[in-house]
Amino acid sequence: MATDPQTGSAAGTADTAVIRTENVTKRFGGLTAVDSVDMHVDRGEIVGLIGPNGAGKSTLFNCITGAYEVDEGHVYLNGTDVTGSSERTMSQAGLVRMFQETRVYGEMSVEENLLVSSRYDTDVLSQFRTPSQETREKADELLAYVDLDGLRDMEAGRMSFGQQKLLEFAMALMADPDVLLMDEPAGGINPSMIEQMLDYIRDTNTEQEVTILLIEHNMDFVMEIADRIYALAHGERIAEGTPTEIQNDDRVLDAYLGRE
Amino acid sequence: MSTRDLRTRLQTVRAYLGTYGWLALGGAILVLVGLQWLGPLSTSRASLLFFAVGLFLVVWNLLLLRATGVLEFAHDHAWTLLAVFAVGAVAVQAAGLLNSYWSTVALQMFMFGVLALSWDLIGGQTGYPSFGNMAFFGIGGYTAAVLFKNYGVALPLTLVVAAVMALVFAAIIGVIVLRLRGGYFAIATLGVLLVAIQVARNLSITGGTDGIILLDVPDQALIYYGMLAVLVTEIAVVYYLSTTRFGYVLNTIRDDERKATAMGINTTYYKTAAWGLSALFTGLVGAMWAPYNTFIDPATAFNTAWNVEFIVMAFIGGTGTVIGPVLGAFGIRSLVFQIDSLFTGWQLVVLGVVVIVTVIGLPEGLVGQLKQRASALKYYEYGGGAAGGAEAADADATEGGND
Repeated sequence: MATDPQTGSAAGTADTAVIRTENVTKRFGGLTAVDSVDMHVDRGEIVGLIGPNGAGKSTLFNCITGAYEVDEGHVYLNGTDVTGSSERTMSQAGLVRMFQETRVYGEMSVEENLLVSSRYDTDVLSQFRTPSQETREKADELLAYVDLDGLRDMEAGRMSFGQQKLLEFAMALMADPDVLLMDEPAGGINPSMIEQMLDYIRDTNTEQEVTILLIEHNMDFVMEIADRIYALAHGERIAEGTPTEIQNDDRVLDAYLGRE
Repeated sequence: MSTRDLRTRLQTVRAYLGTYGWLALGGAILVLVGLQWLGPLSTSRASLLFFAVGLFLVVWNLLLLRATGVLEFAHDHAWTLLAVFAVGAVAVQAAGLLNSYWSTVALQMFMFGVLALSWDLIGGQTGYPSFGNMAFFGIGGYTAAVLFKNYGVALPLTLVVAAVMALVFAAIIGVIVLRLRGGYFAIATLGVLLVAIQVARNLSITGGTDGIILLDVPDQALIYYGMLAVLVTEIAVVYYLSTTRFGYVLNTIRDDERKATAMGINTTYYKTAAWGLSALFTGLVGAMWAPYNTFIDPATAFNTAWNVEFIVMAFIGGTGTVIGPVLGAFGIRSLVFQIDSLFTGWQLVVLGVVVIVTVIGLPEGLVGQLKQRASALKYYEYGGGAAGGAEAADADATEGGND
């Protein structure tokens, strides 16, 4: 293991870990935003990532998706070293991410938002054809699923925040993800929609077998949905465990409540 | 719930009242002008202007009231409408219904239609506000002029070479400037245009500041057909692309390029393609303009006033739509010609007023505003949303009260 740290440490659980980070470090000038973080998400899991503001959660997301180049360490996707891969490569490999500040294509219609998010029809010739029947059917299905079919011709940016959040979720599903990275799925939405969002995420995880890694500040939400949770503070991983373990972890309580 | 419903209803009513109000005002103007024409004052130049304003108010507000239907009709019959336009435009010229003046007006309308639509492809659809599109026009013009004059190449062939030259130039420049966004991109492209002017002034092959005089050029009717053909082809191409994944991707780049990249789209490829297509059509009409004008020099080939004019046209018609920029070009060009003959020397003042009124009253442009109205009406039918209902209603209320 000492002679070949990469393959050595990855070998133990290579078959089940969809995402694995090893010693991932990201610095911005003098600030170490993510500090030697080891974590893994196994196939079929829902893993939560929690931590106070500025803990490095979103930065870790960006390191995994290839939006940032990591300064140290490695990222593995399904056992393959993908450190330094572009966002495009990662996305084509089935890793789809949602953003903290809900991002939809504001001036396009709801339906177009979905059609363009498909990973089908992406070969050169298909670019110059109208979307295939298969893609349209899938878009229709998803519109009905998130209950936005009445708004298909609406400019996406004119909908309410909650509706945009649902659309962004449907867009992520449209890309047929293998792994879904969600940045605060319950952020800024009302209590009744939080219940709905919980159902959607569970459904996606069980019915469509999508592995999910999510960042969340709403503790009730993350405790209810996650199989396992990682806690970050000041860029370092301070705890890992089941929701119950995390809830009783002194370091997590310290980090959240500011106890010294 | 009921409070929100009531609020939404009230705002819908307000929006409609606004539309009916402007409709009534337009109608009143038309009646007054009509009465005046019947009376002793007869037709004055000012009354023509009032008549035009009244007519616009009536037509525009009627369109607003039927926004959904109008857009659906245009969408369902797009190809038929385009064919009718093409056949009609050929017919009036072939039948000799256009005198030389109107033929010139129409020819320039077609040309500016192409320029505005080409600009919109990169500026409106893709969200990269180019201020250098006239560079492609000039390159097309000079390529055609030099090949025709110095090498005796047949004009149709010069068109092909000119379009390819513009395309290649765009691809090379694009690799550099398409890394920039927003204002930085605008400034960089303006720089490209300014450099092009200086280069044309200093090269001997372009005739320097003296330019190139072209003789034995085809007659105006032929160039009229040529411009028309390019316009119809471009409308067809852009309209078709707007229904394909390629067209959607251009819009994602405009709306959120960061998200598009994260979703796995190679945005560089798409925006370079859009920029190239824009250059190709612009270069093509540039190559027709040179022989039509029988002369090309740096000031006409890289006309910086036109460079702004076709952007204004796209905005007035509605950026990011297919027909908007073309209608904007038709409207502004014919307006400029009319004002020039009625109130010589005032065309820029009127143009300025039109631009200001449009920017304040119709920030999305004519076609854009129609689309917004239709979209807002759909939202009411659906029942609105928690936060979006009030916003959409507010937006609609302002839409109703404009002209």
